[in-house]
Amino acid sequence: MLTLEDYLFQFTVSLISHAVLVVYLFVIMDARGRRVVRKLPALLLSPLLATLLDAVLYARFPDHYVVRYCAFSCAILLMCTLWIRWAWRTGFWHAFAAACMAGMCQVAASGLAQILLLDSEIPYMALIAVYGAVTLVSAALLHRLRFGRWFRLLLEDSSVQRRMALFFFGLEAAMEAFSLLQEGIHPEYLVPYYALVLVMAGLAVGLVIYLSQRLDASRKMEVQRDVIAQQQLYERDLEAIRQEVRAFRHDYKNLLAGLSEQADEGKLDQLRTALSELDAGFDRRMGEKIQVSTQIGNVCVPQVRSLLLSKLAAMGEQGIDCRLEVLYPVERVGMDPWDFIRCLGILLDNAAEAALETDTPWVEIILLPQKGRLSLRVSNPYTGTINIDKIWTDGFSIKGEGRGLGLPGYQRILADYPNAAASTSWADSVFIQELTVEENA
Amino acid sequence: MIPIYLCDDEEGVRHQLKTALERKIFLENYDMKVVCAASAARELLDAARDSRRGDYFLDVDLKDGAWDGFTLGRELRRRDPHGTLVYITSYGDLAWKTFQYHLEAFDYIVKEGEQTGPAAARCLEAVHARLLDERRDPAEMFSLRTGDETRHIPLADILFFEAAPKAHHVYLHTADSRLDFVDSLNELEKELDGRFVRVHRSFLAAWDKIEAVDGKGNQVRVGGRLCLLSRTGKAELKKKQRGSF
Repeated sequence: MLTLEDYLFQFTVSLISHAVLVVYLFVIMDARGRRVVRKLPALLLSPLLATLLDAVLYARFPDHYVVRYCAFSCAILLMCTLWIRWAWRTGFWHAFAAACMAGMCQVAASGLAQILLLDSEIPYMALIAVYGAVTLVSAALLHRLRFGRWFRLLLEDSSVQRRMALFFFGLEAAMEAFSLLQEGIHPEYLVPYYALVLVMAGLAVGLVIYLSQRLDASRKMEVQRDVIAQQQLYERDLEAIRQEVRAFRHDYKNLLAGLSEQADEGKLDQLRTALSELDAGFDRRMGEKIQVSTQIGNVCVPQVRSLLLSKLAAMGEQGIDCRLEVLYPVERVGMDPWDFIRCLGILLDNAAEAALETDTPWVEIILLPQKGRLSLRVSNPYTGTINIDKIWTDGFSIKGEGRGLGLPGYQRILADYPNAAASTSWADSVFIQELTVEENA
Repeated sequence: MIPIYLCDDEEGVRHQLKTALERKIFLENYDMKVVCAASAARELLDAARDSRRGDYFLDVDLKDGAWDGFTLGRELRRRDPHGTLVYITSYGDLAWKTFQYHLEAFDYIVKEGEQTGPAAARCLEAVHARLLDERRDPAEMFSLRTGDETRHIPLADILFFEAAPKAHHVYLHTADSRLDFVDSLNELEKELDGRFVRVHRSFLAAWDKIEAVDGKGNQVRVGGRLCLLSRTGKAELKKKQRGSF
């Protein structure tokens, strides 16, 4: 029969495990801000409830240790997931994946601590100290590897979130199974056993980083492929302007001759109409191309420039009237340029999609850098009504599934940038998205 | 009297505009006066040092050290938030929308020989009409600062403020927009003393826009939208209701 003291002991052990878990969670979630720390006390419920559950289960099935262990672990996993969901305001699957990953790290850390203390008869407090030190060192190492960033990248796309979460659950389950097996290992083989646990944890971390880097690289490749194709289109535009100018130079002497003749004859009205026709003709033939190319010339961040070129060309082909204004040179974007272009891409895709449903589709893009701040404004007309509470939630799109990251993705990217503010308005059938990024760093 | 300021580095254009505007003011008997026709940005800034609700006609392609049409407009907007900015340009293809959104520029005039004067006069008429409108209905504004740009939202349009998921960010909700800015609900509650009720830790709702308590009493409808309602929020509402009778 277990005594109250046993339960207290078990509660303490569980509490320490949770503390370790939280340390890893902060690394995995790449956490900032004090808000989450304030929510920590609620996590105390998890070891408390788990211990209670264990007590109840023990009373019921005293002989089934494995069953109890599984129930105990699952309960903790679930409660931690709910807590993460609440504390970080993430989706369920994201929280679940994070809980699994942190759980795996925690089991590995306890394994390492036990290797270090295998033969010694050190008091319990020292064990805790070593456990804590191992945790902090390994957490710092994970932080150095920017594990949180890679982990987030892997879970960003909501369509694969569930799959990734189940993958992490598989890893965690394997880890827990290992941890359970230690009861049945001959003491002689404990060292290789723990080493195996550690290697597995290392491999899992490596796998996450590798997968995420692959994903990142393939995304960049995709963008670059696009970029090259569009750069060629841009060059073709420039070539057209050059041709046009050459033709114009050829013509303008004749034109001037005609005009001066009219002036000599004193036909001022004719002269005026001829001049305004000339002006209008020039504007019609080249003005538009020149407008876009001078504006785009002000975008000095290659990734942004390429994305704009590619999107402008695509929208032009779809018959959308595009306007781009870049008053001053844009040299920095105040955030990771790849993240910025992902945001820009989402906004432009959404704008084009909504604009196409109207009779006269247009999209207007304004980029304005000033005094350490960059503002981006994308506007487009739309038809129908907008349910503002819904457009930010996952899985909602007027057009159904499979429409890229969408606005929830946009918000997820921006969540990591406290220096970015995203506003939306939808007055008079024009939908406007504004993004301002302060360059505080 | 509304002071009018001109700034263009072309002597001819300046003269043309000044004559056209003065003529219009005289003919229509507007309470306005052209007080300054400057050739450079600094000259204008010196003259308009204490100007309030002025009307400024500025050349877009102004070149004067660090000043150009946009930065001059921004400085004037900072000093005189309720002034009217009108731009003069040689080309029709200026980055007009940028001026419109970031400086709240009112209109622009294209330099087209003799057409410039009449265009300026028409523009002045529109400016005058708007000023009349504003005088009739001086709406109380909420100033939303981001960096050194300030945006004015009529206080009557605001439905509620919501704490954004990102720390220190707040959403301002109106019937047709959601604006994201850096602030805290506690500060806003103090600043907007009495007109807004803290219905929830994360929501600050306009008192006169609250329509009904919804759901199982844990939501409140504000201008057709739902906000969360906490127990303390409910108490706040009751207190406020007693106070208003």
